Parts: sequence; C-alpha cells; structure tokens
Amino acid sequence: MLRKEQNDLLTQTAPGTPMGELFRRSWQPVLLSDELPENECPPVRVKILSERLLAFRDSEGRLGLIDEFCAHRGVSLWFGRNEEAGLRCPYHGWKYDVTGQCIDVPSEPAESGYCRKIKLKSYPLIEKGGVLWAYLGPPDKRPPEPAYEFATVPAKQRFVSKRLQESNWLQAMEGGIDSSHVSFLHRGDLHNDPLFKGAKGNQYNLGDARPVFEVVESAGGLYIGARRNAENGHYYWRITPWVMPAFTMIAPRGNHSVHGHFWVPIDDENCWTWSFDYHPVRELTAAEVQAMRDGKGIHVTYVPGSFRPSANKDNDYMMDRKAQKEGRYYSGIAGIAMQDASLQESMGPIIDRSKENLVSTDNGIIMARHRLMRAAKALAEKGITPPGVDPEHQKIRSVAIVLPADVPYKEGAKEALIAKPGVAPASV
Amino acid sequence: MQSESARMASAAEARFRIDAPNSKPRAIKIIALDAPAERVVKRLAQAQWNQASFFTASAFAGAPAKGKDFSMTGWLSDVAGRTKSLIDEVASADLVVMVATAGENAMAAAIIGEAASAKRINTTGLIIGAGASDEALSKTLAQLRPWSLMLVIASADDYIEDMLVALRA
Repeated sequence: MLRKEQNDLLTQTAPGTPMGELFRRSWQPVLLSDELPENECPPVRVKILSERLLAFRDSEGRLGLIDEFCAHRGVSLWFGRNEEAGLRCPYHGWKYDVTGQCIDVPSEPAESGYCRKIKLKSYPLIEKGGVLWAYLGPPDKRPPEPAYEFATVPAKQRFVSKRLQESNWLQAMEGGIDSSHVSFLHRGDLHNDPLFKGAKGNQYNLGDARPVFEVVESAGGLYIGARRNAENGHYYWRITPWVMPAFTMIAPRGNHSVHGHFWVPIDDENCWTWSFDYHPVRELTAAEVQAMRDGKGIHVTYVPGSFRPSANKDNDYMMDRKAQKEGRYYSGIAGIAMQDASLQESMGPIIDRSKENLVSTDNGIIMARHRLMRAAKALAEKGITPPGVDPEHQKIRSVAIVLPADVPYKEGAKEALIAKPGVAPASV
Repeated sequence: MQSESARMASAAEARFRIDAPNSKPRAIKIIALDAPAERVVKRLAQAQWNQASFFTASAFAGAPAKGKDFSMTGWLSDVAGRTKSLIDEVASADLVVMVATAGENAMAAAIIGEAASAKRINTTGLIIGAGASDEALSKTLAQLRPWSLMLVIASADDYIEDMLVALRA
C-alpha cells in the first residue's frame, strides 16, 4: 500500500516533479536507431517524461532532439523539411539546426542577426547499441554514456524492440521485479517458447512453485534472488538485478540469449517498454532473431505501422478462454510480453495503490519504491546523484546459478553479477 | 463481448472502480532478535499501527543449556517488558517479521521459525546493516535463512517502517 502522496510522487514524471528530475539524471532510450535510418530522413515525434520533442538526423548525420514546435507560430516541426543541415518549418521557412538554434528566418534580413536570437530547447541525443538515447537533465550533470552490456556487444549479438504500454511506468516496472508471478502467469511458456524452452533451470522453476526470496540492496538498485530447491542440498537461484530507475534483467535460461527491459515514461499514463535480448559471447542465430521478430520471448508483434502491440486493450488482448482452460496460456493471453502488459494495463492508467494488499513476497516491490522515494528526496533536497547514474552500476548481469545451501547468493554469484566482455553468463 | 457494460481499463473507466474496503487488518508480529534491533523495534512501536505488535526475543537469544535443544516453549517480551508466550503470539499472527542486525546473534530465529512453521504462519526475516562485513552478514543470514520465507537485507532501518506501512501493519 502507498499513500496517495507517495503514489503521486512515484508515478508523476513531468518536468519539475521529484521523480521526473530523477529520470532526467540518466540517459533514457527514446528511439530505435532504425527510426532515424539515414541522413535527412523524416523527423520523428518523441514524447518522453511528458515533454513533446522532435528527433531528426540532419544531412550531416548529426542527431537532434528539439522542442517539437516552431518558435514563430507554434507549428509542429514534424511537418518540417529535413534539408541542408537543418529542419525547416514549412509554414514560413524558419530553420533550426540539431541544437535547436534557429539558423534562418527568411522574412528578416540575414545581416540583422535576428535568427541568432531564436533557439528552441534541445537535449543531447546519442546513438549506442542500436538505440538513440536522450539526456534531459541539467547540462552540467550530464553522465557518461550508458554502459549496459546489451548496448556494448556487437550488433549481431543483440536484438532490441520497443512497444507501447498504455499504463504508468511504475506498474510496468514493478511487474519486472515481481519474480513470484512467473510460476503462474508464464508457466505454459517455459515449455513452449523457443527462446525459453529446454533449459534445465525450467525444471527447477516448474518443480517448485513456492520460491523463497531474498532482496539485497546493490549500489545501483537491488538484487532480487528467487531460491528453489535443487539436488543434493543445493539451491537454484534466479537473480534479477534492478538498476534505478527503470532497468531490469531477467535471469537467463540455458544457452538462450539474456533479456531485460527499460520502462520509460511517455507521460503519466503511458510508457515505452523496451525489450532487449543479447548474448555476451555469441551471435544470435537467424532462428532466434526470427522468433523475436515474430513476437516470441519478451517481444511482440505490432499493429502494422506502429509500435502498438497487435494484442491490445481494444481487442481484449485476443483473450483465448479455451487456451486458458487447457493451461496453454495460464491467463488466456498469448506471449510472455502481453501476458504481463495485459494485466498491468488492466489496473488502469495509474493504479491506486491505496487499495492494494501487498504480501511478504512483494518485498522486492516495496524495497524498490522505498529506494526510489529516498533517492528522489535526496536529489530534490540535497542534490545527491541518484543510484544507477554511475556507469559502473550499469555493468551488471542477471544470473541463474546453483549454489550450496549455506552460500549467500550475493557472495556465490559475486563475479557472475558483473558484466565482463567476452565472458559467458552464469546460466542453468 | 457485447453484453459487457464496461471496457478494458482507461482513465475514464478507472474512475468507476468500487470504493469499498477489500481487506481486513492482518495481525503482524514484529520481533527483534538482538539488542540493536530491539532499539529499532521499540522506536517503531511508538507509531500508530493497524494491527502490528512489537516484541523482543532477547529472553531466549542465548544458546540453550548444554545437552538441551531449543524449545518452542519460549517467551517473548513486549515493548513494555511484559512476558508473552511465543506460541500464543505466533498462533494469532498472519505474518511474523524477525528483525536482526548483521553480525549479531540471531539464534532466536530458529525457535520463532519453528513455531511459525508448526502453525503454518509466514515469516519474513529482515537484516539491518548491509554495510556490515560480508562475514558478519553471512553469519546472521545463515541463522535467518532456514526460517524465513522472505529475506530482506536493508542498508538502513527506515526500510522497516516503509515495509510495515506497505503491508498495512
């Protein structure tokens, strides 16, 4: 349960809000590189943290993320012409470069220097790991580039997708650290999904539906360990790292690729769910990539021409009661991603947490909220940089491992929890 | 389905969620296992709670006498120092939270855990002081782990209050 003021604090991310300022201290994924595929390609509207912006790649290949609206009459520059190192408003020809600086006002004499007095708000936009990342915080607090492992491996070892989620970011993120739902909601997919099936760890998962959890604070957020019984007095651990504010990784299975998510607020009632798969030491196979494109694993298929999942709230997520009854899909919804998203969206755009009844196994969620509130307050009152901003906090991995019963997982998996180039992940 | 009068959640639909209580208070028993944890628990007990009660287990925190096993017929103290029966308190709980400090002796966890297990009551172990050495933490962890269905290692004791509020204690 959260009081209303706590819920507001955690769910509101517009400029000037405590959580909005916390998000603004780290790089956020805003577009796939493919959405700005070449120089002078069409610009793309971006709404992030309740700010409407426009992204474009100019004729020189420079990336820009600027205020969407022309400083002259407020026209959307989405209609603009991307030409000759700038974006020109089609209404009266005002032109802007990637920094938002106006570089031409045709109605004014060039010698007057009028255009130099016009500048749109802009934010740094960089490309890394097939993703365009934006930093919306104070310029003097700009952190180093993101260091998440998926963004650092060669392109052929990685697949990244995004989907629109029609809910607040927090309830989506909380699903990512709620390890206890897997044995119910996703149980059918452990047998069937090509990106999950066949791993020995699945047997432990399905053989013990009541895992025991251990939540440990890390420098950047949390480790959430789920423990199940293995052979000979050993435990099978699945360790989910959460890096503040909204990054998680799912513990791997066998030699399958490793996957995880970002949840990035669009506004307070919608977010982008970013989903990535990668393997630290091998290229993804053609079959794996095809499966991801086909919406397997944590990915989805789309309404054509959009990033909205083809199963969405307008079609009741293609509920299949027969499959539900037969146990193929525990909730009746196909696919791991939409099994999660359908339930999270069903809570309403912003869940009223004053009505919830958490139990002991929800301590991962409780601790995440606790850390977010504490960090937002420390930033607002003392200017303390939030956990998760430091690139060292981002060089982490999820882990699946069998350990002797008396070994704390944070010790037993200490090395495995750190991303190391060229080193295979710890997986069962 | 045409017969349904409500659609999948939207901001407009969310307004119609019934505004009525959906749960009854649950009895949560918070037990300090060592002296530093006792100070934290006594401070927490000063706040207003729905149905939380606070105890210390210092009465049986020591090792059993030579040749004797731990027994569930242990005793707790409430924050006013009154003696309470462990079995009675656990039996009337919906959740038992054991609070320990990293590096301190948490042997009482075995007795409390055994009682909770016998009564089929859920247990949560909470270790304060993640800043302690790995060795100190491991020692406490080893004592709590067999008896906790949920274990949390928190760097600061203010987490306990947030956790109890979240659980509607």
